Amino acid sequence: MRYLEGGVAPREAKRLEWHVGGCRECDELLARLRSGHEAGRQFGRLGPEAGHRPPEFEEIWAGIGATLDRPARPVRTGGKLLQSLSAPLAVRILIALVLAQSVLLVVSFRKMPSWVTVGAVRTEGGPVLQGYAPVRIAEFSSNSEFRVVTEGFVEEVYFDEHERSLHIRLVEAPHKPAPFVICEIRDLGGLTIPRPGSRVRVYGTARYDAQPGRGWHEVNPVLAMAVLKR
Amino acid sequence: MAAEFSSLQTVALRCLPADRERNIVLAARRGDAEAFRELYHAYRDRVWTVVISLVGDPLQAQDVLQVVFFKAFRSLGSFRFQSGLFTWIYRIAHNECRNHLRKRDVPHIPLEAIVGSREEIDGTRVSDREEMRKAALRSAVKHLPFKMREVVVLKYQEDLSYTEMSRILGCPPGTVASRLNRALAELEMRLRPFKGPV
Repeated sequence: MRYLEGGVAPREAKRLEWHVGGCRECDELLARLRSGHEAGRQFGRLGPEAGHRPPEFEEIWAGIGATLDRPARPVRTGGKLLQSLSAPLAVRILIALVLAQSVLLVVSFRKMPSWVTVGAVRTEGGPVLQGYAPVRIAEFSSNSEFRVVTEGFVEEVYFDEHERSLHIRLVEAPHKPAPFVICEIRDLGGLTIPRPGSRVRVYGTARYDAQPGRGWHEVNPVLAMAVLKR
Repeated sequence: MAAEFSSLQTVALRCLPADRERNIVLAARRGDAEAFRELYHAYRDRVWTVVISLVGDPLQAQDVLQVVFFKAFRSLGSFRFQSGLFTWIYRIAHNECRNHLRKRDVPHIPLEAIVGSREEIDGTRVSDREEMRKAALRSAVKHLPFKMREVVVLKYQEDLSYTEMSRILGCPPGTVASRLNRALAELEMRLRPFKGPV
C-alpha cells in the first residue's frame, strides 16, 4: 500500500518492481491492490448518498436532553475509587446505598406488569427479546431508553399519508385518548395488524416526532409486536 | 519533525480548534445545552458519514447516530483530553455500529441483484452506467466484512493516516495496514465483474 501511495523511497520501490517483474504471484497481488486502491479512492469521492441526511440537533435533543439535566461527573480513576472504598465511612455509605437500591428494585418490580423480567422481555409463549427496556405509555415523556417495549390498547389503525407508513395509536386504557403513543410500522413483514380495542405489546425505537402539528412520542420503527388480547 | 507530524495528525482529526473544543466540553459537562448543540454541529457530519457508510440503512443510521451522541454526551465527564474529541466520539460510533450490526444479520445481496448483469449493464446509456458503477461501488463496500469496511471508510472517506486509524480502532498500525490490504483485495474481487466500460 505504501508503494501504491508513493510512500516508498525510490531505491526500495525499484527493488520491489524488480521482484514483481519476476514473480507472477506478487505481480497479480499488486494489480489487485492497485485496482482495489483505485476503487477505494473513487468510493471516498462519492460521499454519502443524496437524500441521506443526519438528524437535526432538535430531533436528537428531544430524545436525550431530558436525561442530561444533570452535568456529567468525571469518572474516578480505579486507584482513587478503591482508596475511597477502603475508608470505613465510604463502606458504610456503600452498604446503605446497596440496601436502598434493593428496596427500590423490589418496589419497582411490584409495579411492573407480569411479563417483565430483568434485562429481557418475555413474550407470551414466544422467544425472549433481549435489550428492550419496558416503558409504560405514560412514561414516554420522561423516557431516556432507545430500544423499548410497551403495552397498550389499540385505539386506531390508519395509514399516514405524510409518513407513508401504517400508524397505530396506542392508549393505556380503552376509551381514554391520553396518554397515547404512535407506533409506526414501516415494514409489515411478519407483523399482524391488530384490530382496534385489542391489547398489544410493541417493541421498537422510542422517538419524539417534533414536526409541526404532531409533537407526540412514538415507537418508530416497530420491530416486533405481539397481540395479547383480541 | 516528529512533533510537527504529531500536531498535523491531531489537526486532521479535529473539527474545532483545541482550546475551543476544550471550553465547549467543559461547558457541556456543566450541562450547557448550547455547548451540546455546538459539539453536535461540529461532529455530526463526520460521524454521520462514517455511521451511514458502516450501517447502510439511513433510518438505522439515524438511530445509531442518536445513540452515539447520547452516549458521548452522557460520558463527557470521562473524556480526559488525552486524544482528540473526534477520536473519542468515533470510538463510541465504532462500538455502536458493531453492536448494531451484530444484532441485525445483514443479508448478502449479490451485486447483480442491485445493478443488473454484465449484459444488462453493457446495453445501458453512459449516464445510467455511471450511476450503476457508483451503486456497485457503494454496495461492494457495504457488503465487506465490518472490520474491512471500517478501514476502507476511515482511509478513503475520512482520509486518515494509519496512525490515526490505529488510535481510533485500538490496534497497531501494522494490523490496520494488513486489514486494509485484505479489504482492497476483497473489493477488487467483488468489483471484478464490473470492470471495463462500467
